[in-house]
Amino acid sequence: MNKIWIIIQREYITRVKRKSFIITTLLAPLGFFALIAGSVLISTYPQGRTDVAIVDESGLFKDISFADAEDQTVYFHKVDDKYDQLATSLPKDKGENKKYSAIVYIPAGFNINNPNNPVIAYRYVERPGVMKKQFINDRMNEAVDKLRMKMLNINEDVQKQMQTKTQLDFSSLEDITEKKGYTEAAGIAGMVMGFAIYISLFFYGTMIMKGVQEEKTNRIVEVLTSSVKPFQLLMGKIIGVGAVGLTQFILWIVLIFGVNIVAGVIFGAAFHPQPMGGMGNVPAGGMDADEMQLIVNNISTLPFTQIMIFFPIYFLGGFLLYGSLFAAIGAAIGEDGDQQSLMIPVTVPIIISILIAVNVINNPDSSLGFWGSIIPFTSPVVMSALLPFRPVWWQIALSLGLLIGGFILTTYIAAKIYRIGILMYGKKITFKEMVRWIFARN
Amino acid sequence: MPLLSLQHIIKQYGAYRASDDVSFNIPKGKIFGLLGPNGAGKTTLIRMITRILYPDSGNILFNGEQLTDKHTENIGYMPEERGLYKKMKVGEHLIYLGRLKGLSNAQAKENVLAWLKKFEIENWYNKHVEELSKGMSQKVQFIATVLHNPQLLILDEPFSGLDPINSKLIEEEIRAMSREGKTIIFSTHRMEQVEEICDEIVLVNKGRKILEGEVKELKQRFKQNKFRIAYNGEMNNALLNNLNVIERNPGEIVVKFEEEHRGNSLLKLFVEQGTEVSSFNELLPSINEIFIRKVNSEW
Repeated sequence: MNKIWIIIQREYITRVKRKSFIITTLLAPLGFFALIAGSVLISTYPQGRTDVAIVDESGLFKDISFADAEDQTVYFHKVDDKYDQLATSLPKDKGENKKYSAIVYIPAGFNINNPNNPVIAYRYVERPGVMKKQFINDRMNEAVDKLRMKMLNINEDVQKQMQTKTQLDFSSLEDITEKKGYTEAAGIAGMVMGFAIYISLFFYGTMIMKGVQEEKTNRIVEVLTSSVKPFQLLMGKIIGVGAVGLTQFILWIVLIFGVNIVAGVIFGAAFHPQPMGGMGNVPAGGMDADEMQLIVNNISTLPFTQIMIFFPIYFLGGFLLYGSLFAAIGAAIGEDGDQQSLMIPVTVPIIISILIAVNVINNPDSSLGFWGSIIPFTSPVVMSALLPFRPVWWQIALSLGLLIGGFILTTYIAAKIYRIGILMYGKKITFKEMVRWIFARN
Repeated sequence: MPLLSLQHIIKQYGAYRASDDVSFNIPKGKIFGLLGPNGAGKTTLIRMITRILYPDSGNILFNGEQLTDKHTENIGYMPEERGLYKKMKVGEHLIYLGRLKGLSNAQAKENVLAWLKKFEIENWYNKHVEELSKGMSQKVQFIATVLHNPQLLILDEPFSGLDPINSKLIEEEIRAMSREGKTIIFSTHRMEQVEEICDEIVLVNKGRKILEGEVKELKQRFKQNKFRIAYNGEMNNALLNNLNVIERNPGEIVVKFEEEHRGNSLLKLFVEQGTEVSSFNELLPSINEIFIRKVNSEW
């Protein structure tokens, strides 16, 4: 035990003192800061203005109004010019400044009962973006709707009433503190935690693997194994790197909070969650500010005690389970760079678990989510994503039991592979061989 | 009681037997040569002594006790393939290895400083390992091997890649440690070094022990009664016709002579014939010759 402690100290101290550690620890929050600043800048970046001339040769839309975009990117102008005339007066090059830059052409034969034959045309010089296209199309549909209502003699008040949609209030029967917007808040929290484990499994797993490869390549391992058991070396490395990861995480959280406060001060009012969706009242998939506020309000109602207890446990469990496997692969590969394919059996389950986690956020009660949260190879990521959805206690208990069993098993297997692998030089290792090592005596 | 006793050691890798019923004793305080061609099973034997591997069957006794992990703190091992962590500083690296051998932090530091001083390289303490030349890191590796003052020192090809100055330095250290009563296992396939340094040897080939004994005794055992006689003036041809001359050079012949009291009888023959003998030596086989003869007779 004492020797494992000495190894942990070395693994920890040499890594934490490295320049690369200090740089990544400091730069990641700066990167985060840059991401926030970038998204604020991008969302407030003035978009090009498009002036659209509406040429209504059918005359049907005479009394119908076309509302301009709220974000001042699209303006509609009804004109009396003929299409052919107007089309020639449009700017020929993108940079040229003319009154109109696009035309909506409603042909004379436009038929409200069959609005796609002949179609309403949109002719442009500067290609509209996806959002702008969607917006203009939606506006034309609204106009067509208004026209239909008008022809049916439905007045505007009734029209407004018809357009008002209802929003159900989703909340759990089990927990009255769970308010509207809880599912979304839980989904975001779950995704953040799932991804945190996913990324760190890869990042620190690779760190362990590289450490083992280094020891094998520079041949120090033979000196080390004459002083300590390979198992002690393996555990010391995994725990040492784990401690490095934990330190980095804590530093990141502290720094990110710090950066957040600083960013808040600098950007002031501009630094608030921006409504996703950008273009005016385009509802497709976007979230409006009210909805965002609801989610923010709900974050405080997440089961924090449960998360605080189990998230670190799953973090640790996943780390031990995969860390030992990464170490075993490192021992088998050694300096041989072209044997990366041996990593596939370790990396694929991690990737599968994040795919399950993404699915689980949308269907927390699915059987995929259940099995994903039970099987030790996927449970660290999947269960972390599920924690905000308050899984039942026996599900957590079963999952934890299997996770502990799982990492004891993988550590046992990994130690066997590691023990033989680190002393095996100049030979390409196959899976068959590794399996033989697992069952080898001594 | 020998310091180390290997008894009927068998180690098998799949179908390949790396150690095939190997037994020998290593006496306390001697420099012991473990010899054999590449792939003979030397490293496997060493790895079993250092508890990196375990024998499939057979016993290893250390000071009469069953060898266990606790004994590894009394063993210093310098493998043939050796390395250091490049990013660490020499001082902290040596302290780390010392602590893994059971030294306290303070004790390890004290020993490191003493050894650096002995080699007059105190200013290396804060140097990064990656800054060291090959020769320099070999010195550091040697210090790492002896730092914890082990009773048994195992050096696997210690001179491979060493420049002559460092070779001499390490050789002197090996002798000094031997004088202090340490036992040293010296594994090599380079025989000329064995004769200079070792007291006893064991010779292994293809996993089996094929020879063991004291160096002097082995040379006697394997001598072929060859004598080199250098002379001034003329040699009596009639005498030569009655002898088994193996080699003849101007002023020198090599003779194989197997009668009783060989040396004296032969010298007497020359003297009586009036040859002016300027030197007379019995040619003992080098360990290398014994080695080659033994290995070839195995085939």
